Amino acid sequence: MFSSLTIVIPILGAIAIALWPNLSSQTARRLALTFASAVAAIVLAMATQFDPAAIAPQWSTAIDWLPKLGLTYSVGVDGLSLPVLGLSALVLWVALWASPSQNLHRPRLYYALLLLAGAGLNGAFLAQNLLLFILFYELELIPFYLLIAIWGSPDRKGYAATKFLIFTALSGSFVLVSFLCATWLSGAENFDRAGLDFSHLPLTAQLICLGLLLLGFGIKLPLIPLHSWQPDTYAEASPPVSILLSGAAAKLGAFGLIRYGLGAFPDAWAAIAPGLALVGALGALYGSFNALAQRDLKRTIAYSSIGHMGYFIVALAALTPLSLLGASLQMVAHGLIAALLFYLAGTIESVTGSRDRDALSGLMHPMRGLPATSSLFVLAAMASAGIPGLVGFTAEFAIIQGAFSVYPVMASLCVVASGLTAVYFAIAINRTCFGKLDETPVPYPTVPWLQQVPALVLTVMIFAFGIWPAGLVRWSEPITAGYAAAAAPTVPPETAIATLAPATEAPTLP
Amino acid sequence: MEQIFEVALQWVWIVPLYTLVAGVLALLWSPGAIEKTGPRPSGYLSLLATLLAFSHSVLALVALWDQPVRHLSITWFQAAGVHVTLDLTASAIAVAAMAVITGTNALAQVFAIGYLEMDWGWARFFSLLGLFEAGTCVLMLCDSAFFSYVLLELLTLATYLLVGFWFAQPLVVTGARDAFLTKRVGDLALLLGIIALLPVAGTWNFEELALWATTADLTPWAATLLGLALVAGPAGKCAQLPLHLWLDEAMEAPLPATILRNAVVVQAGAWVLVKLQPVINLSPIAVTVEASIGIATAVGCAAIAIAQVDVKRVLSYLTSSAMGIAFVQIATGQGTTALAGLFAFGMAMGLLVMASGSVVWNCITQDLRQMGGLWGRRPVPGLGFAVGAAGVIALPPLGGFWTTFAAVDHLWPSEAGLAIALLVADALAAIALARALGLMFFGQIKPMTERAPEVSWTMTLPTAIALGFVLHVPLLLGLTDWFAETWAAALAHWPVAIAVVVSSLAGLAIGGIGYWGAQPKPLLAGLGAPVRDFFARDFYTPDLYRLTVVNGVGALGRALAWFDRFIIDGIANAMGAAALMGGQGLRYNTSGRAQFYALSILSSLLLFGVLVGWPVVAESPLALNFSF
Repeated sequence: MFSSLTIVIPILGAIAIALWPNLSSQTARRLALTFASAVAAIVLAMATQFDPAAIAPQWSTAIDWLPKLGLTYSVGVDGLSLPVLGLSALVLWVALWASPSQNLHRPRLYYALLLLAGAGLNGAFLAQNLLLFILFYELELIPFYLLIAIWGSPDRKGYAATKFLIFTALSGSFVLVSFLCATWLSGAENFDRAGLDFSHLPLTAQLICLGLLLLGFGIKLPLIPLHSWQPDTYAEASPPVSILLSGAAAKLGAFGLIRYGLGAFPDAWAAIAPGLALVGALGALYGSFNALAQRDLKRTIAYSSIGHMGYFIVALAALTPLSLLGASLQMVAHGLIAALLFYLAGTIESVTGSRDRDALSGLMHPMRGLPATSSLFVLAAMASAGIPGLVGFTAEFAIIQGAFSVYPVMASLCVVASGLTAVYFAIAINRTCFGKLDETPVPYPTVPWLQQVPALVLTVMIFAFGIWPAGLVRWSEPITAGYAAAAAPTVPPETAIATLAPATEAPTLP
Repeated sequence: MEQIFEVALQWVWIVPLYTLVAGVLALLWSPGAIEKTGPRPSGYLSLLATLLAFSHSVLALVALWDQPVRHLSITWFQAAGVHVTLDLTASAIAVAAMAVITGTNALAQVFAIGYLEMDWGWARFFSLLGLFEAGTCVLMLCDSAFFSYVLLELLTLATYLLVGFWFAQPLVVTGARDAFLTKRVGDLALLLGIIALLPVAGTWNFEELALWATTADLTPWAATLLGLALVAGPAGKCAQLPLHLWLDEAMEAPLPATILRNAVVVQAGAWVLVKLQPVINLSPIAVTVEASIGIATAVGCAAIAIAQVDVKRVLSYLTSSAMGIAFVQIATGQGTTALAGLFAFGMAMGLLVMASGSVVWNCITQDLRQMGGLWGRRPVPGLGFAVGAAGVIALPPLGGFWTTFAAVDHLWPSEAGLAIALLVADALAAIALARALGLMFFGQIKPMTERAPEVSWTMTLPTAIALGFVLHVPLLLGLTDWFAETWAAALAHWPVAIAVVVSSLAGLAIGGIGYWGAQPKPLLAGLGAPVRDFFARDFYTPDLYRLTVVNGVGALGRALAWFDRFIIDGIANAMGAAALMGGQGLRYNTSGRAQFYALSILSSLLLFGVLVGWPVVAESPLALNFSF
């Protein structure tokens, strides 16, 4: 039951805030933060008691819901979901902290929706029944739609919200159809993960189901060319919503690909892996080049996310224990970094009124600028560019090292994309943080220290997991090693490096 | 008393931590944090930590002098069959290098306290210096190829932020960007090489790599790609062609940071290259490329240095040139000579930067054409510059002579062409230095040098100490076996030694004729403006890169952004619009008649039922009716 609290508490919080009469936006924010902190505390408590060696879900609960439909309320935490659950709890807390406490339109609805979105995310990460997963997957969609449509940027929020709705609704349908097909074809009685085994399905059927899943989760991730909702959504949503979307919601696509794509269809996955590696590497380059051409800071970060998900796909395609571990690290690493970047971009926009890299200048100015925010922005950008000592490097190292022995060219392209990340962020920093602060406008209001708290918390975690990767690696390693073994049964994880060694000599020859 | 040395040796690993901690603490004096005291305590704290680190390294060095090396291994990442450890080895040479680094840092920081007297950014500056110093110190101890990459990358970041220190100036901003990106190109190539190394070699430990290289069996292609990738990282760090232009632009950084960069940090790349050389040796092509870029940089950058009007840029190109010589030495199997050369050159170059810095500080110009006649007024910088110049080129008995001689002597029998090219590079460097010396200190007083008294002790004292140190470099080199061998070789092959001295003297003579008179007689101007501009503008490399790489990447970015906006997003929008329009059309179905709704619900249910229940329907008796 313990794990269910991470779903129940935010829902209760949402109800409380929505129904409480005459709640001021400040109280609503405090109340929401209290509930989010409770969720975070529960995840922390689970982390201390978690047994990383166990593959099976822990703190699991199974209650029959609609047995005829095969729907069970079955939840549990395993090594793959615990890190993303922690990420989701943290990012929800950050998003709430980033939300305004004054001058907010309809505060009770806003905070209730944010908490509901958090509940949906946590539920999807915990679900051990495919239908339950879909339920939660769709549940978080509605609050996000409303959050964008009501509190997004004035000019284009309607467009962005509709686009988000259409794309992600399609995403949910693809996933649902795939789950239904696979489960019915396999002849299973219900949709519980524990009882499902798709390995005896004909490869064609597996490939079709996996293809649908790829479309579904690929939209969510997003994978090129299914990404066009994402820059608009991230740019037009209000900063807290962008934080939650990029930091946690998009991770649902990544999580789904590992758990339900690779985990459920290892053979089909291995069959399409070379194509996926190409898509991933091209995506990394495509996202990076596009980020280079963006003037809007939030769009730059959005395209940067597309690029970073490219590495993730290459890692999933390589199917070595290290690369899969790297993929699971990348979910958390990118979640932390993207949340921090959007947080800082939001601060910059709220203080200066702009997020156009060509309009801003000299924010590093120690007296009249935003020195702390700019310094943290430099740090976050460097983390995104994979500078060692920060969490982004840990993930990228595992991905590239793990993928190099299988797809050396694709791994090298990822390194090129990492170099391009440095380029577009160096341009962004040079234009916004460096340079002369314009003399004409009134001095920017100083950012109070209290407002920097979430950024500092994220920064500490980005440092901590960069310097001490064991803190992050230990949760997922047994699970990802299992996935690697399932997809390539002939290669036991310990010897993977040694046996794959000759492959390095083959590549990159003209 | 003995115990102090022993304890110092046991705890030698914490030497980098002093300055790292001081660097973090220095941030407390950032604007907006501690304001009561002003920012200066951050500098004093940093200096104190550096002096501590220096004393500690010296004590440890004494204890370590004739003891076996110490090892320390710290696990960073262990998962999925990969075990990454930070291997540290405290050898006499590594600890000596740390002592040199911390000692140079101490001088540079005292210098900075004077040079940046009026600056508001002390906290940031000293914090970055602390990071720099800690990074270079760990690099000296580091025995792992992977962590060497990590540290080089951190130094790249620190360079970016240090060069961007005065970020309100446009040239500084572009200089910082170019330094960051150019070095990152090299670093990422190095990362690829290092990642490719693990599956084949199974280790990143330098000693084990050297052992592996003796028996390694790689295809020539693989060995060449690997070797080139491993050369690229140090080439970026050491500002070698074609990645050399960043060091020139990095001269926009505050001068005290330049002391360190030219004297210590750039050398870190060559230090790593020495350790990677056994692996690079697997590919003759990679070794040839390594030697070629080295000699091209040695000669080319020395020639460029002659044409610079900015004194800091003269020195930066000479640094590139000296690193080129180190590349040649390393590629031709003279790692020890290269290390001795890095040390001798670093000390002399540090002195040159300090000497010119204390002139720049109160003449308020870096333009050599606006300087002159300072010899009588500025004895410490004048002597310092002269001694530094003598230490860089091959003038006995100073350090540069021994390392240049060793390299030429080694190359003469087998690679005479390379040996002659080294002599040419030495002569060109001598011309450049003689020119800078003449323009700054000789000739007539110019308006900018009219009022130029000697500066405060904070800058003079470090310059004087460095001056004394450069004079003693031969004695320090004399402690090594390498020096004894070189001494013997110089006696045996005296014609080579004379040739080396002659090359330097010839350079000095040419430079002296041109620039030591009352009126300078520009040498290159005689060759015509196109030739002068070709060298003055760095072979037009910045323009070439702007036209090719920079524009190419930018254009591709814009093209893909166009594609994304109009094609990918266009398709999405078209589909969305079609769906919405479909909705617009279908809304006329909502006629309000209950019969119509019932019909649509019924037919949908029927269709759905047939679809869902198809397996059942197909086998039911009803199905037989269809099959006759």
